[in-house]
Amino acid sequence: MADRLITDIGGDHAGPIPQEEREPLFWERQMIATYNVLQDHGVLVTDEIRRTVEEMTKDEYGASTFYGRRLDALANIVITKNIFTAEELEERTREILHNDTRDHVR
Amino acid sequence: MSTEPHDHTHHDHPLSRQDDDVELTPAEAKFLAFKSLLIEKGIVSPAEIQARMALNQKSGYHHAARMIAKAWTNPAYKSRMMDDAKAAAIELGIEVTEAKLVTIENTPERHNLVVCTLCSCYPRSLLGEPPAFYVSKAYRSRAVREPRKVLREFGVEIAENVDIAVHDSNADLRYVVMPMRPAGSENMSEEELAGLISRDCVVGCALPIEPNADS
Amino acid sequence: MIRAIMSAEAAPAFMPGDLVRIVDLGKPGHVRTPFYVREKTGAVERYCGVFENPEERGYGRVGLARIPLYRVRFNQHDLWPDYDGAPGDVLELEIYDHWLVPADEETQ
Repeated sequence: MADRLITDIGGDHAGPIPQEEREPLFWERQMIATYNVLQDHGVLVTDEIRRTVEEMTKDEYGASTFYGRRLDALANIVITKNIFTAEELEERTREILHNDTRDHVR
Repeated sequence: MSTEPHDHTHHDHPLSRQDDDVELTPAEAKFLAFKSLLIEKGIVSPAEIQARMALNQKSGYHHAARMIAKAWTNPAYKSRMMDDAKAAAIELGIEVTEAKLVTIENTPERHNLVVCTLCSCYPRSLLGEPPAFYVSKAYRSRAVREPRKVLREFGVEIAENVDIAVHDSNADLRYVVMPMRPAGSENMSEEELAGLISRDCVVGCALPIEPNADS
Repeated sequence: MIRAIMSAEAAPAFMPGDLVRIVDLGKPGHVRTPFYVREKTGAVERYCGVFENPEERGYGRVGLARIPLYRVRFNQHDLWPDYDGAPGDVLELEIYDHWLVPADEETQ
C-alpha cells in the first residue's frame, strides 16, 4: 500500500475552522494571474502544481500557507523546466529584498 | 514606505498601489523575482499578467447569485442550470472556463456541502478565489467527516430529518449549490433575490437571508 | 485484472446505481483518490465523461488518452466508524475508472 499523500487529509481530526476573511494581497492576485498565463502558454498544468505540493515534507506542508505553497510549487516547476535556475531566483530575490521596493516604484 | 516614484520610464504598472504601505515580505520578494525572470526570459509579458488580473477580477459569487435568482423565478432556466450549469452561465454572458460545472440543488430532504479535501478545487472562473476557510486544513479535513458540526460553526443548523450530502470536488467537476428559495420572498425581483444569496451559500455553508416577514 | 483501454466512444463500464468498490491500487505519486474511500463500497451516481488522467498530467504528460470518470456515492455511516449524523447522509466524489471494480453483494 503506498503512503498517503500529505495533502490527503479528508477525515483527519482538526480544530475550529478559521472564519477570518482574508482577501488575497495584490502580489498574490498577480501570482494567480501569472500562473494562469503560464497555463495558457502550455508551460505547466494544474496537476503539476498539485503534485509538486504533494512532494513537500509533512513538516513543510504543515508550516506552509496556501499562497506560499503555490509560489514555491510554481518556482520549482519553472526551475525544473530550465526556464531559469534556482540560483538566479535566489539572487534576484535577495536583490529585491535588499532594495526593499516593489517593481512599480523605482 | 515611500511611494515617491523616482523614475517614470516604467509605465506597465501604476505609480502607486493600495498595498504600498504593506511591508515587503520574503514571499512577495520571491514572487517579484520569479515574475521578473519570467518576463526577462520572454515567457510572459507584463501586459498579459495585467490583462489576466483584470479578467480574474470579474469573477465573483454575484454571478452565481444572479443565476440562482433567475433559476428561482424561471423554471425553464432552472432546468437548464440543473442540466448544465456551465451552459447556463454562458447564456447570461458569464465566461465559465471549467470543463464541467454541476448544480446541486438543496431540497427539503437534502442539504449539500462542497469541499476539496485534497487541495482547493473551486469554480474560480465563476466565483473567483475561494474563501480562506475553504482552503483551510480544518475545513478540508472535517467537512467530509462531521458536516453537521462544521455547519454549526457557520451558524447553520440542519435538522436531523434532513440528509446532508457532502461533495468532495476531487477531480474534473466543479460544483455550485443552489439553495432553496426562502419563504417570504415571493414578491421580490430577481435582483432583490440575488441579494439574499451570499458567497457561502454557493458552497453550502450558509442559507440565504430570510426576508423580514410582515407580522 | 487488466482493463482494456477504452476509446472515448466506448460505452461506460458502470451505470448509475451499480455498486462499486474503490480498490487501493497502492500507486505512489500523484493520485486523486483519497484514502478515506479506499476499499469502500458505494454506488455510481453518474458517469461524468472522459478526462485526461491526472496521474499522467501531474508529471507533465498531457494530451494522452482520456479515461472514464464516475461520481460515486457513499453512505457516511460506511465511511466513518464514529459518524454522528442522519442515516441518509452521503458523500459523493469522482473516481477514475481504473480504481473501480464491481462490488459483490457479500462485501460491505
